[in-house]
Amino acid sequence: MSDIALSLRKATKLYAGVPAIDGVDFDLRRGEIHALVGENGAGKSTLTKVMAGVVTLTGGTMTVDGAEVAPKTPLEARNLGIAMVFQENSLVPTMTVAQNLFLGQEKFYNRLRGIYIAAQQFLQSLNFDVTPTATVSGLGAAKKQMVEIARAVLHRAKVIIFDEPTASLTPEEKKYFFDLVRDLKKRGVSIVFISHALEEALLLADRITVLRDGKHVVTDDVAKFDRAAIVQAMVGRDLSNTLYGARKSTVRPAGARVLTVQNLKMAPMVKNNSLSVFAGQITGVFGLVGAGRTETFKIVAGVLKRDFFHGGEILLHDQPVRYRVPAPAVKAGIAYVTEDRKVEGFFETSSIARNIYLGLLSKFPGGRMMLSRRETDTVGKTWIERLKVRAIGDDGKVVELSGGNQQKVVIAKSLVQEPDLIIFDEPTRGVDVGAIVEIHELINRLADEGKAVVVISSYLPEIMALSDRILVSRQGKVVEEFSALEATEEKIMYAAIH
Amino acid sequence: MIAAVRDFANRFLGRGDATITVPSFDGALKPNQKLESAEALLTCESPQDLATDGSNLFIADGPRLICLAGGTVSEVRSFERPISALCTLPGNGLAVALGGREVHVYANPSAEQPSVKFADAAFNAINALALADDNTLIATDGSATSAVDDWARDLLELNRTGRVFKLDSGSKSVTRSAQGLGHAFGACAHGNAMLVSESWRHRLVLVGAGASPKVVLAHLPVYPSRLSKASGGGYWLTAFTARTQLVEFVLREPGYRRRMMAEIDPAYWVAPRLSSGRSFKEPMQGAHIKTMGVIKPWAPPRSYGLVIRLDAEGQPLYSLHSRVDGINHGIVAAIEMDNDLVLIAKGPGRILKLPLAGLAEEFRT
Repeated sequence: MSDIALSLRKATKLYAGVPAIDGVDFDLRRGEIHALVGENGAGKSTLTKVMAGVVTLTGGTMTVDGAEVAPKTPLEARNLGIAMVFQENSLVPTMTVAQNLFLGQEKFYNRLRGIYIAAQQFLQSLNFDVTPTATVSGLGAAKKQMVEIARAVLHRAKVIIFDEPTASLTPEEKKYFFDLVRDLKKRGVSIVFISHALEEALLLADRITVLRDGKHVVTDDVAKFDRAAIVQAMVGRDLSNTLYGARKSTVRPAGARVLTVQNLKMAPMVKNNSLSVFAGQITGVFGLVGAGRTETFKIVAGVLKRDFFHGGEILLHDQPVRYRVPAPAVKAGIAYVTEDRKVEGFFETSSIARNIYLGLLSKFPGGRMMLSRRETDTVGKTWIERLKVRAIGDDGKVVELSGGNQQKVVIAKSLVQEPDLIIFDEPTRGVDVGAIVEIHELINRLADEGKAVVVISSYLPEIMALSDRILVSRQGKVVEEFSALEATEEKIMYAAIH
Repeated sequence: MIAAVRDFANRFLGRGDATITVPSFDGALKPNQKLESAEALLTCESPQDLATDGSNLFIADGPRLICLAGGTVSEVRSFERPISALCTLPGNGLAVALGGREVHVYANPSAEQPSVKFADAAFNAINALALADDNTLIATDGSATSAVDDWARDLLELNRTGRVFKLDSGSKSVTRSAQGLGHAFGACAHGNAMLVSESWRHRLVLVGAGASPKVVLAHLPVYPSRLSKASGGGYWLTAFTARTQLVEFVLREPGYRRRMMAEIDPAYWVAPRLSSGRSFKEPMQGAHIKTMGVIKPWAPPRSYGLVIRLDAEGQPLYSLHSRVDGINHGIVAAIEMDNDLVLIAKGPGRILKLPLAGLAEEFRT
């Protein structure tokens, strides 16, 4: 029997023509712990979802125990002995531990007592300290994870995939989890785990694979890695070769303080977050998924609400503000360009001009009774020209545009409000290369005009190329600030992870 | 009635005046440890203020007036009361505030008798002196009720009795320029007006003749103190300690404060200090803990060291810090002398010197 439990060759997955993983080769040995690391968008989740049957490959092959397979559903993958433990666990909260363990394996007639005894014996055999009669909703994060793992083992999983398994665990629970994983390894189970915590990968894994921009970078024994080597492999792009150009040699001086966030709280995502944003500068906000960046600025823009009790303070031009809905924030001069344009950014079946005009309408106090078609066309035409939106005709619907042009419409909808503070959340996500350059030029122009600009991005080259100052967010708060002149990708990533 | 309901709701919800928040050290106030690398010129028992005539550095150390010139330390004279503020005057003159209640003007530092004596009954806590453009003296008085060194009580009593006086040596007159300030502590001439630090309101205000104070810089994460002019335009602003959420919380709890002030030794009050870490009895902040024997530099501080370089409009350009794991805390005075910045770190009682060359390039962002 081959030493390889699972392998992928030239694995490619395209989403709307854009590769999430691109020709990745991956081997998982029997009884090994294999860590997958990489930045946001590196393709880790896609790769593991392919293994777990959550998504299917666009190109390439997958073999399990030497046989070529193509699981189309998680059930098919489970039948092949592959189970995935998701970050958000998939247990039924109102059922007991034992019921969850045997969910999907019920017989025609089930005795609860029989299920509990079987579950008790099974959990004891794994040395898991979980009561089978306990309701899942009452368990802590670590115990829930134990139940997920037990279920995977019960289903005779030969490969268990963990997506950020330690994200919600306390240090003590983490230690227990590591012991569990080592125990599974002793039983011959192969483990794949995704982690942003490099220490954990170095501590736990036998081998580490680094992905970057959907491509395989390196796979090697853990002994050959140290923190610096992993970070270098994660971010080691040659900036001079990217479309974002060379790194900054000068930064814009800070103007007046436009926005002050003080001890902002919105459980569980934003935890005592404090930051300032200055006029005439681009403030980049970097962080990994779950760092609370988007939530913080959505609170600023009135999209989300801070905690009702002791939720902290937001000052706009040194005056405290509290927006319960976005409209007053828009009137006060705050524009938030969403990261999810298709859901929150525009009305896809309306025309470009109408979408842009809607942005202007929200600025008017009390709204308007009548809409002016002529004004709509004029405003639309002005901004289509100004932002070089490439549409088939003036009456073209937004849904017919490319991702980059849709993003320009969303930006135009915000800029038409003439804001003082503009928050761009992932401004070039899913945008074509040509539009990225144009959007970046626009962002720079806004800062040069003296506007306070915030750019939230998970893509380090974008942050490095655009920002005058860079705030690094981790676990719901800003933990580090860098001037663009002193920042390096390694420093930023280090702050984001630790 | 509506105000009372609103106050109650704010206290209940933690909003409005009851918001317990502190601005972050970011932008120009981004933390560093530059003050820790400063050279210690001298250690004094109780350094209070600095002044220079260009070649000599005068240091107020308790009741003693010390001169540091060319590396030599000498005692110029001694007073019957501690010196609370110091200022050199044109023509080799010197002004000293004694015990916060009197200001003496001497023709030269070693003159036997003062040429002018200001002992206005309103003086209580004169803590800074500065020369105005019209050669009059600006004096800031922190509190009408608490003595100069009893500033922590003034903070905890939420007093807003700070005042600014103009002292005219020619006419020997005292004019009150502003009152109702939240502990006025430091001033500097700014054209015809003067920039004044309001420690308890964490801001700088511009006080002009016949006008209400105008806010120049607000929402500081520190308690600002003395100001001095910087070469090339602008100012140096010292901050004697940093604000924390714990102290902000205590400031909103009158019953707790009253009992604490009545029953606890002032050294152990939950209040900002000029130095910390000297006794296990000191109140600890939530994160002010040692990990593997080392205090985390970003922990909420009980004491802190900071001096801020302001531009000509009073806006911060960059700042020099001594964080919670440092020693040079309680910066109460900073002046430029030759090509150096000389500072008082009152916490450890040190006179510090930092070369000015390269500072702006190193920290200005």
